[in-house]
Amino acid sequence: MADNPQDLAIALSGARKCFGTTVAVRELSLEIRRGELFAFLGPNGAGKTTTIKMIVGLLRPNAGEVHVCGHNIASNGLAAKAQIAYVPDQPFLYERLTGREFLRFVAEMYNIPAEQRDQRLALLIRRLDIGEFLDQLTVSYSHGMKQKIVLAASLLHDPTVLVIDEPMVGLDPRTIREVKSLFIEHTRSGKTVFMSTHTLDIAEAVADRIGIIHRGDLITVGTLEELRARAKRERTLEEIFLQLTEESDA
Amino acid sequence: MPDDPVKISSRPLLGLLLRAKTRALWNRSRQAVNDAPLRISTAVVLIATIWMGLYFLFHAIFAQLQRTPLEATVAIPLVFNFFFIVMLTLLTFSNALIAYSALFEKDESAYLLTAPLTPLDVVTLKYLESLVLASWSLVVLGIPMMLAMAELADQRIFYVLFLAFFLAFIPIPGALGLLIAWVAARFVPRGVARDLAIALGVFLTVFVLWGMRTLQLGDSATEQWLMSFYARMSFIESAFLPNNWVATGIDHAIHNNFAEALLYLGVTLANAFFLSWLAVHVVSRYFHKALDRVSAGRGADQYQAGRASGGAAGLLFVYLPLRLRLIAAKDLRTFLRDPLQWSQLAILFGLLFLYLTNMPTLRQQFDALLVWAEIIPFLNLCAISLILATFTCRFVYPLISLEGHNLWLIGLLPMSRTRILRAKLAFAMTVTLTGAITAMALAAFKLQLDWVWTIIHLVVVGAICFGLCGFAVGIGARLPLFEEQKVARIANSLGGTTNLLASLALVAVVLTAIGFAIWRSKIQRGDGVPDTVTLAICAAAVWFSTEAGLCAMRMGAKHFEQIEV
Repeated sequence: MADNPQDLAIALSGARKCFGTTVAVRELSLEIRRGELFAFLGPNGAGKTTTIKMIVGLLRPNAGEVHVCGHNIASNGLAAKAQIAYVPDQPFLYERLTGREFLRFVAEMYNIPAEQRDQRLALLIRRLDIGEFLDQLTVSYSHGMKQKIVLAASLLHDPTVLVIDEPMVGLDPRTIREVKSLFIEHTRSGKTVFMSTHTLDIAEAVADRIGIIHRGDLITVGTLEELRARAKRERTLEEIFLQLTEESDA
Repeated sequence: MPDDPVKISSRPLLGLLLRAKTRALWNRSRQAVNDAPLRISTAVVLIATIWMGLYFLFHAIFAQLQRTPLEATVAIPLVFNFFFIVMLTLLTFSNALIAYSALFEKDESAYLLTAPLTPLDVVTLKYLESLVLASWSLVVLGIPMMLAMAELADQRIFYVLFLAFFLAFIPIPGALGLLIAWVAARFVPRGVARDLAIALGVFLTVFVLWGMRTLQLGDSATEQWLMSFYARMSFIESAFLPNNWVATGIDHAIHNNFAEALLYLGVTLANAFFLSWLAVHVVSRYFHKALDRVSAGRGADQYQAGRASGGAAGLLFVYLPLRLRLIAAKDLRTFLRDPLQWSQLAILFGLLFLYLTNMPTLRQQFDALLVWAEIIPFLNLCAISLILATFTCRFVYPLISLEGHNLWLIGLLPMSRTRILRAKLAFAMTVTLTGAITAMALAAFKLQLDWVWTIIHLVVVGAICFGLCGFAVGIGARLPLFEEQKVARIANSLGGTTNLLASLALVAVVLTAIGFAIWRSKIQRGDGVPDTVTLAICAAAVWFSTEAGLCAMRMGAKHFEQIEV
C-alpha cells in the first residue's frame, strides 16, 4: 500500500466487471505507485484485459472505482486519459497513413511542440529501429513492425502511466531488449508502467511488483521475493505462477 | 491533488482527426491510381456512363411529365417525394449499419476512446464518416436527376439550390441511423448486427409487398387505377416528413417561387441541424453504457448459432465424403455467422421470391402482349442468373483468399489441395443451386410453363450455377489475395474484377443462346414445341457453361497445388 495517495498512478478500489451473468473481474482492489513497473499475470480468460480496459476507460466497472493519477476515469475521463498511453494486444494503426504520419498525428493529439516531437521521434526511431519502414503505409507492416510503431506512439508523449497488453508479441530479440530498457528508464523518471504479459521471464526480469489474477480474483500481489515467500520455496516465477493458480483452483 | 491534464480539451481535435482521415483517403487514392490505373480508369468510365444514362433517363421522364401543365403539377412533386422517401428509408438503415459497425465493432473507436478525446469527439467523427459512406448512393442517383431537372427548368440558380437541398437532407437519415444504431447497442444485447439485418429484411419485405399491392389495383391504364394509386401514395406528402420539405421546396424553385423554396430549405436545414445535435449528444452521453452492453453480448449467441449451423451442414452436405463435408460445413458456419453476408443473399433471393409469388397478376397485365407473356420465363432466367453472378462474385470468390491465414492448417491436411477446391465448389453449388432451382421451379409453376420448357430452364439454371461457381472458385484459386481478410476488399481486387467480368460474359453467352432458342421456337415458329435445332442450341449452352466452369476449376487447381504461401 502506498503511504501517500498522491503517489498512486493507478488505484482500483473494489472494481467489479460483469458481462451478463459472467463475472470477469471480482471486487479488484489494487494500487500502483508512481515510478513502478507492475507486471499483471494470469491464465487466459483470467480478467487481465478486462482490468486493463477498465483502467484506460474503455469499460466502466459495474461497482467500485478506478483512478488514474488521482482522476476518476469514469467522471473525469479526459483528464485521466491525458496521462495515459495504452498499447492493446492487437495494435491499431490507420492503414492508409505512413508510420511517420501516424506518429505526427499522435504527437499533435497530445499537443507536443514540434521541436520536442522531433527530438522524441529521432530518439524512438533509433531505439526501436523503425526508420527503415517509417515512410511506408502501415497497411504493409508485419505484426512486429506495427507493434514497434504503436510502442513509439505510446512513448512519444512521455505518458505518466503506460498501460500495455502483451508488449513483446512479434518483436525480435534486439527490440525486446530495447523495449525492456525503455520501460525501465521510463519508470526511473518517475512514470509508471502497467504491463500484462504471459512472458514470465520478462516479468521476472523487469517488474518491481507482480500481480496474479485468476478467474477474476486477484490472488496475489507483491515483489518477486514476497511471492517466493508466499510460495514457501525458492522458485522461478513460472513455478510460483503455476502453484498459486493451481491452489486457487483447488 | 490530481495531476493537471495536458491542455487539450479546448483544442480542435475533431479537425485533427478529420485531417488525418483526409490524408489517409488521399494516400489510398494515390496508391489505387499507382497500383491499378486500368481499374480506376474503368471505374471512372463506368460511373460516368451510369451518370450519363441516368441523366438522359431522368431528362426524358421530366420532359414527358412537363408536356402538360396538369401532369407537371401533380406528377413532378410526387416523383421527388417518392425519390426522397425511398432515400430517407434506405439511408437511415445504411447509416445505422455503418454507424453501429464504426462505433461498436471497429478497433479505431476503442483506440480513439483511450486517446484524450471525449466521446462527443468520437461520436461526431463517426457520424460524419457514416454520412459520407452512406450517402454516396444519393449522390450517384440524385445528381443526374437534379441536373436533368435544372436543365429543363433553365435556371442556373437551381444548380446551387438543388445542391443545398441535397446537403440539407443528408444529415436527417444520418441522425436517425445513428440513433437506431445506439438503441440497438444499448437495448438489444446479443447479435445486434444480425438483428439489424433481420429488421432491414423484414422492412424491405413489407415495403415491397406494399409496393406490389399498390401497383396491383387492376388495369393500369384506367383513370380509376391512377386515382387509387395517388390516394395510396398520399401519405408520403405528409407535412411532417422530410421528403415532403425537400420535394415541395424543389417544386417551388421550379415554379420560380424562390422565397418559398428558401423557406423549405431553411426548414430542412433547421431540422437536420437539430436532429444531428440531438443524435450526437444523446449517443455520446450514453455511449459507454452501449459499448458495455455490446461487449457483454459477445459469445453466447455464437454457440447457439454453431449448433444450428452444424445441423444444417449435416443435412446439406450429407452426400460429400467426410473431409470435404467438414470443410464445406466450416464454410457454411462462417457464412451464417456473418450477417452482412447472408443478409444480402436473403434480400436478393427474398425480393426474387416476392416477385415470383406475385407473378400471375403481373402476367395478367401482360397477357394482351403475347410476346411479353412468352418472354417472362426467359426474363426470370436472366434475373436468377444475374443474382447468382452477384452472389458468386461477392461471396464465393473470396472463399479461397480467406483461407490465406489458415493455409498452414488446410494446406497440411492429408488431402490434395484440389480436393479443398472441390469442397469449396460443393459448398457454393449446394447453396446457390438450392436457391436457384427453387426459384426457377416456382417461376415455372406460377407461369404454368409446359414440362419440356420447365426442364430446359431448370437444366440451364443448373449449368449456369455450375459455371459461375466454377469461375468463382477457379479464379479465386488462380488470383487469390491472401493478405486481405475483408470480404469486400477481396471481391474488389483484380481477381474479383476478373471474376465479375468473366461471370457476366458467361451469363451473356448462355442467355443469348437460350434467348435465341426461345425466340426461334416460340416467336419465329410459333408452336412453342422445341425442335431438334432448338434442343441442340440449349444443349450447347449447357455444355458451354459446364465446360467453362470445369476449365476455370482445372486452371485454379493447377495453380493452387503449387502455390507457396
